[in-house]
Amino acid sequence: MQPVAAARPDERGLVDRLRAGDERAFEELVDNHAAPLLAVTRRILRDEEEARDAVQEAFVAAFRSIGDFQIESRLSTWMHRIAVNCALMKLRVRERRREQDVDELLPHFQADGHQQQSSVGWKESVEDVLQREQSRALVRECIDRLPESYRVVLVLRDIEQLPPDVVAEKLQITRDNLKVKLHRARQALRTLLDPHMRGAM
Amino acid sequence: MSHVTCIEFISFLDAYVAGELDAETRTTFDLHLIVCPSCRAYLASYQETIDLVRGVAEKEEELAHDAPPELIEAVKHVKR
Repeated sequence: MQPVAAARPDERGLVDRLRAGDERAFEELVDNHAAPLLAVTRRILRDEEEARDAVQEAFVAAFRSIGDFQIESRLSTWMHRIAVNCALMKLRVRERRREQDVDELLPHFQADGHQQQSSVGWKESVEDVLQREQSRALVRECIDRLPESYRVVLVLRDIEQLPPDVVAEKLQITRDNLKVKLHRARQALRTLLDPHMRGAM
Repeated sequence: MSHVTCIEFISFLDAYVAGELDAETRTTFDLHLIVCPSCRAYLASYQETIDLVRGVAEKEEELAHDAPPELIEAVKHVKR
């Protein structure tokens, strides 16, 4: 998730010290940002070792390019983007597995345009489901069952909430393709959650 | 668009929930919702799916502990 907190008042000072090559400033940057960045890379990569490597690479990249940092932006937002980039680089080098499509998980329609199977409302509220660790794990499991290219689109748009043009550029797909993929990813996930949510978890 | 069926409603559901439809199309979609309980249920569960995805990540981040000390040390070491 992109950080929403306001820029820290001492951020400018920290940036100046980083630019000056201050060792302590770098340590401060690491102490403040390692945990949220690790959460981001874990969500994208779903592999602990790769997620930690991506965090390391993000800090090295950040330190090297601190000169490019625009002081009017937030350091946390900038670090978030760098961590997303590092995680995506790792995804790209993973051996491309033959990916299943999500067609089977999309709704089916009759010739007259009506849904083949009527949809039924879910029993429990989102808030109640989120309260229980077991049901959160089940949601997470369903997200992980999505084919990787769909899962990543869902993570970057609906969790990290990066703007569509940024995600399209990072994934090297068109904005239209991204839109289609996101809609299909949500529909497929809805189908995976449906049997659990109908009966309440 | 004077009237839509479920297939059209669901195909453009992402634009509907994002508020991207023009006023006329939105009204047509709203009318479909009035007469179609199945699409009402689909819309609700589609929105709940998005809320769950976001909610689970927020909860995970809330419960997450600090980054592992060995990672912090490793990062600082790389810099040195």
